[in-house]
Amino acid sequence: MRKALAIIACKLGYFVGKLVGKGSSLPGKWALKICPDILSKVRLPSVIIAVSGSNGKTSTVEMIAAILRADGRKVIYNKEGSNQTEGVATLILTNADLSGRVRADVLLMESDERYAARTFRFFKPTHFVVTNLYRDQLTRNGHPESVYDALKPAFAPETELILNADDPLSSCFGQARDDVTWFGLNRCDFSSPAPTGVYHDGAYCPVCGGRMEYDYAHYNHIGAWRCTSCGRQRPETAYTATALDLQAGVLTIDDAVTVQLAFKSIYNVYNILAAYAVCRRVGVSAETAADVIGNYVLKNGRMQTFRLGNRHGTLLTSKHENSIAYDTNLRYVQDCGTPCAVVVIVDAVSRKYFTSETSWLWDIDFDRLNSPNVKRVILSGRYCNDLAERFAYTTLPGDKWEVIEDIPAAADALKASGDEEVYVLTCFSDRDKFLTLTEREG
Amino acid sequence: MELTFLHFYPDLMNLYGSYANVTVLQRLLERLGHTVNVKMIAPGDAADFANADFVYMGAGTERRQKFALDDFRRCADDVKAAARDGVAMLFAGSAMEILGQSVTDADGVTVSGIALAPFETVQRAKRIVGDVYGHTELFPEAVVGFMNKSGVVTGVDTPLLNALDMGHGNEKEYGPEGWRNANVYASELTGPLLVKNPRILEHLAAAVLTRKGLTLPDEWPVDRWARKGYDVTARELAARRAKT
Repeated sequence: MRKALAIIACKLGYFVGKLVGKGSSLPGKWALKICPDILSKVRLPSVIIAVSGSNGKTSTVEMIAAILRADGRKVIYNKEGSNQTEGVATLILTNADLSGRVRADVLLMESDERYAARTFRFFKPTHFVVTNLYRDQLTRNGHPESVYDALKPAFAPETELILNADDPLSSCFGQARDDVTWFGLNRCDFSSPAPTGVYHDGAYCPVCGGRMEYDYAHYNHIGAWRCTSCGRQRPETAYTATALDLQAGVLTIDDAVTVQLAFKSIYNVYNILAAYAVCRRVGVSAETAADVIGNYVLKNGRMQTFRLGNRHGTLLTSKHENSIAYDTNLRYVQDCGTPCAVVVIVDAVSRKYFTSETSWLWDIDFDRLNSPNVKRVILSGRYCNDLAERFAYTTLPGDKWEVIEDIPAAADALKASGDEEVYVLTCFSDRDKFLTLTEREG
Repeated sequence: MELTFLHFYPDLMNLYGSYANVTVLQRLLERLGHTVNVKMIAPGDAADFANADFVYMGAGTERRQKFALDDFRRCADDVKAAARDGVAMLFAGSAMEILGQSVTDADGVTVSGIALAPFETVQRAKRIVGDVYGHTELFPEAVVGFMNKSGVVTGVDTPLLNALDMGHGNEKEYGPEGWRNANVYASELTGPLLVKNPRILEHLAAAVLTRKGLTLPDEWPVDRWARKGYDVTARELAARRAKT
């Protein structure tokens, strides 16, 4: 009785929420109030996939859903990105009939790293993908190892783990388990001999504290690592990017499957590998998976093109408090080679909570903007001075960057002179403060 | 004058942009005309305290703090001698806990610290986080930063911040934060501390210079971005405090 009531409450709440444009976690919250163990009373599909990690969760989930649908399966997943326990409850219950049977072949969930253990108390995923673990929202998450400790209890012995072999920290989830499916990227042309970036989180073994060595690194501390003390090393991969030409946008998986990349980024390659690995594990053929990936256009709105006066521009959404997300986009700007002006905006550190914490700016590799194609850098928003202090310690010449606190004034300055491409780097919390001043494309 | 910094474990104790505490102190002293030589010390490396003018260690995870402490115990006598000799030091973030009598982790395992300071630390699974707005007896302006730690520190006799209007201190909310004894400074505030608080930076620079018998500038060079950044953060935190 309580079960049916909870399901009805959730469905009604979701319907009303849709009408008024409210978020998707509240209906699940009501249902959990009415029946706290509702998630153990529903009949779930035989395939349950969870995806967690610091970066790439949403993109990976979207890609998995596309591949599984192309394979003819009915997939339900948390599209709105409501990835805490309540959001997952909303997803499951709105897709259940009143007896509690979930009408789908696959339940696919993006899961917040810190809430996963709570979410999966009542049911266990059959497959669990972890994309990576690194510095992300440290005001909330403490540090990557505290996220590791919070996520670890989410893995049941019967759940198959699909892990990133190239990440020294999240790969520790595979210790003492023999059912792990590893994915990773072999050495390629652009691999560096050692980790890059401002800080080096791969310098010491997360297990024994011994010094680590790298055969090569793809970005930051992601690469082929091994501990000189305890002997732990990058595991052999089951699904491998065996060749990658980022310039041409061609990825080869397992020496057999060739994929044309719609978005030529190393980070996208890891999302693809994670999605490919789990889809293969649940029985999708290599051809079907490759076909979808090759035709896949990233839809999550992290990139937005616009016009600003006579200039064309692209806003690259970087998460504040996430240095690797920023490094990703800085590398993109550097690698594109297009003569450009760059705007970095830090106005509200978070859209969800108040903080004046800006130490994460010191973890970002802004030296990447000291590149011949970057003609001008404007620092803007309430915390522009903190940005400027950070830039005063980069290799960029002082005449290449300037501070314009007011965001509309920064946009006007770009309109007033020059016609190079504009790249704007900022977070969800601040992106509309700039985009509303432009004419958006697409 | 040539000055030497010992930066302990830059790749191990490196959270929250901690390294920038060293960078801004180095640049301030260079602007005053001195040459600064920063020696990075990895676990196992020799460290020459006899010729050190500034000793630094930054924040690390709980596991890495233990790895650091395992190595740093060999330096305990040298650190104590240097402290008696007036060498300026900063232990930022969880490096502060290493100075005390003991550190107990969330599983209840206790290890000994280097016992330079009288306090003890007990870490918990639930982290202590939040913006901080407080006061020190060193100067009238407020101190700003962010607390991100797991340890509750008890037995601090001489805190760096004697009162907080916002945020968590060593033991409790609004309680005193950090530790200072003569030229040894310790604080778990991130910011990084010396980046966000130009006045503490000046005090540490003064400690380095005075011990060397060097004259202090009549007026410290102004880093306008740091100064303005401080003003904005102090204003935002004061406004936030008024609201709550």
